[in-house]
Amino acid sequence: MTSTVTRPAPPGGPVTQSPEPPETGRSGVAGLLDLPVVAVRGIMRSARTSPGRLSVIGVALVVLALVTGVVGTIATQGKKDTINDLIDHREPLTAASQEVYRSLSDADATSANAFLVIGTEPADLRGRYDLDIARAGAALAKAASDSEGVADAAGKVDVIARNLPVYTGIIERARANNQQGFPVGASYLREASNLMRTVILPAASDLYHIDTDRLGAEQDDVSGFPWFTMILVLALLGSLIATQIYLTRRTNRLLNVGLVVATGATALILLWGAVALTVQAVLVGAGEDDGSHPVDVLVRARTAAVQARTDEMMTLVARGDGADYEQNFKTLAPTFTGLLGEARGLLDGEAGAQVDTAVAGADAWLKTHKDIRALDDGGSYSDAVKKAVDPTVADGSAAEFTKLDDALVKAIDIGRQNFLDQTRGADRSLTLLPPGLAVLAVLAAGGVTIGIRDRLREYR
Amino acid sequence: MRTFRSDGLRGRFRGPKRLAAVVAVIGLLAVGCGSAGTPVDPAPVGSVQQPLPAGVSGFEGAGGGPAAANCDTRSLGPAPGIPSGSTMAKIRQRGRLIAGVDQTTYLFGFLNPSTGNLEGFDIEIVKQIADAIFGNWEGHVQWTAIPSSQRENVLKNNSVDVVVRTYSITCARLKDISFSSTYYVAGQRVLVPKNSGITGLADLGGKKVCATKSSTSLAAIAQASSHPVPVSVNNWSDCLVLMQQGQVDAISTDDVILAGMAKQDPNLQVVGDRFTQENYGVGVPKGQDDMVRFVNSVLDTVRTGGVWQQNYNYWIAPVLGPAGPPAVSYQ
Repeated sequence: MTSTVTRPAPPGGPVTQSPEPPETGRSGVAGLLDLPVVAVRGIMRSARTSPGRLSVIGVALVVLALVTGVVGTIATQGKKDTINDLIDHREPLTAASQEVYRSLSDADATSANAFLVIGTEPADLRGRYDLDIARAGAALAKAASDSEGVADAAGKVDVIARNLPVYTGIIERARANNQQGFPVGASYLREASNLMRTVILPAASDLYHIDTDRLGAEQDDVSGFPWFTMILVLALLGSLIATQIYLTRRTNRLLNVGLVVATGATALILLWGAVALTVQAVLVGAGEDDGSHPVDVLVRARTAAVQARTDEMMTLVARGDGADYEQNFKTLAPTFTGLLGEARGLLDGEAGAQVDTAVAGADAWLKTHKDIRALDDGGSYSDAVKKAVDPTVADGSAAEFTKLDDALVKAIDIGRQNFLDQTRGADRSLTLLPPGLAVLAVLAAGGVTIGIRDRLREYR
Repeated sequence: MRTFRSDGLRGRFRGPKRLAAVVAVIGLLAVGCGSAGTPVDPAPVGSVQQPLPAGVSGFEGAGGGPAAANCDTRSLGPAPGIPSGSTMAKIRQRGRLIAGVDQTTYLFGFLNPSTGNLEGFDIEIVKQIADAIFGNWEGHVQWTAIPSSQRENVLKNNSVDVVVRTYSITCARLKDISFSSTYYVAGQRVLVPKNSGITGLADLGGKKVCATKSSTSLAAIAQASSHPVPVSVNNWSDCLVLMQQGQVDAISTDDVILAGMAKQDPNLQVVGDRFTQENYGVGVPKGQDDMVRFVNSVLDTVRTGGVWQQNYNYWIAPVLGPAGPPAVSYQ
């Protein structure tokens, strides 16, 4: 379109044609540096004339439209990618680190449980421990695959990866001694539990928190409004309208079809973008509020409950020497009941019902725990052990804890499903938006070109 | 070298293959120029922190004090019978005897994993006391496992009636609690791996030696002229754990406890002479003289009535050889 500008002097023409004093002695680099200055001068000069000004406006509008298109497409495609990353990557990884934390806590609880059972270790306890260790290992590999580049997370994964084989080694040694009737087996168990509690579980907990924070940060990031793109769109729209007003005043013609098309395209960008991005932000927010946030609360409740369960059994394993474990239980009990209450406030419907079941299980368990302590402190050790570990005792803590844990698992699954549904919806709300923005921006640029060219022709 | 190799290649490789060979040689030459650097260790791990049982530390002050000090360690004379208002009557009224015992010391007080019961020489003593109070111990004993460091404390705050837990009678302890008469005489020796070449306390200079917290054994290790490095733990089994994991070089305590450990691991042996004498007594809260006299009468029966010998023959004789009950005198 600038090629149509033949009068007056060509803007930004070759330096040699410049009426400036000849500077033949200047080096090539200095000449290059002069180019923009000369170009600006040329533009300024041409802008003093009507057609020149018009072409400058036209070029500016086209550039603005294309920049808006590129920025908008990149920004919305980036958002779409981030949302997909949340679904395919970030949330599953948080679940993986959660699984590491939970499986290891449960392995600790199960091995303690097995030691309270007289005689041969029951097959279901052995199976549960094996499953816990296998799950922890698999989930750890998943978590490790993502920790690359996040030094903090990599450090935690490293601690767990190094110590988990040591832990399982000590447990097997404890079993071997136990099977021969040697009391040193119980000491190995306590050493293993000590390693789990003081080294492995703190690292697993940290890893989980790091991953949860990353998930939250990414959700905040993706639900943020793309202000820069919006400002560009508004600027483009404003400029288009201003140009049309200017042209109407100059030429007394009401409409310029090209510019009207460009304005329409830009308005469509604004409307579509605003609606889609708002819907997307709302859905990602809902994925956090109904999904990942309550899941986090439930996971923390579940882990605290598993650890309290370990404490309950370690108190019995220690048999009189377990005051520290019981103290730990007393700190953990309000933690998980508090978290369950918090989760109840966040969830309703089916998930809320599951949390109610979990709360009922927790209440029953805490009551049974009191009975167990009373039995043990009152000298009825074997009755206390039976009530604590025998899953067939209806009001025993094994059955009640299982009820609590099962309900939490179901509630967590529902929460994860909520997250997935909402976030997938957010992804769908952006369907076709990035290419759509690109097409509309090109349409706007095309409209400007045609519109301005039509006016420029009138100067011939 | 290069020429020779390409000459050799010429015969066998033709066309594209020859070209490939030439390219490979040139490539090798190019790669040969300049240092390649050193290989990267992607996961450097220099050392390993070995796992420890809970509560491992060094020497934390002598416990119990030496056995032989200038005080009268003899107990009060025996007195059977349970007068009303006595400590024993209160225990009988409560319906159970609360006994502080060990559940980790093989042969003396340990939890048998295959039966779930506490067993051992000390446990039999508790059963005898309970038998004397209730007629039958079953259902009348509340076993409380206590770490060795807590023995004085549980008696001082009256949370147990008796402590029967390889408990040496010492003057320092007699200030806080009362003891029964001696029911077993042990002596401190050293447990080492069979292939270690260590023959006694004198060989342990600079080596790590394990004992439980506030035990007389720990004090004896700390005072030994060969200057071993004391390592203290909560329970005797923790010493065996550390030993089997190679984290200590030796365990030093009473020969009966060591014999129990050697029985759990055939690669270990008890070496050296007894260098202390430990008189095991039943710990009773200070001031309960009626209880002390009652326990002494029970122990008298145990020593003279054949129960002691039967017990010794069952638990101890297989590892330490034949022996008889200790001689006892009273204040």
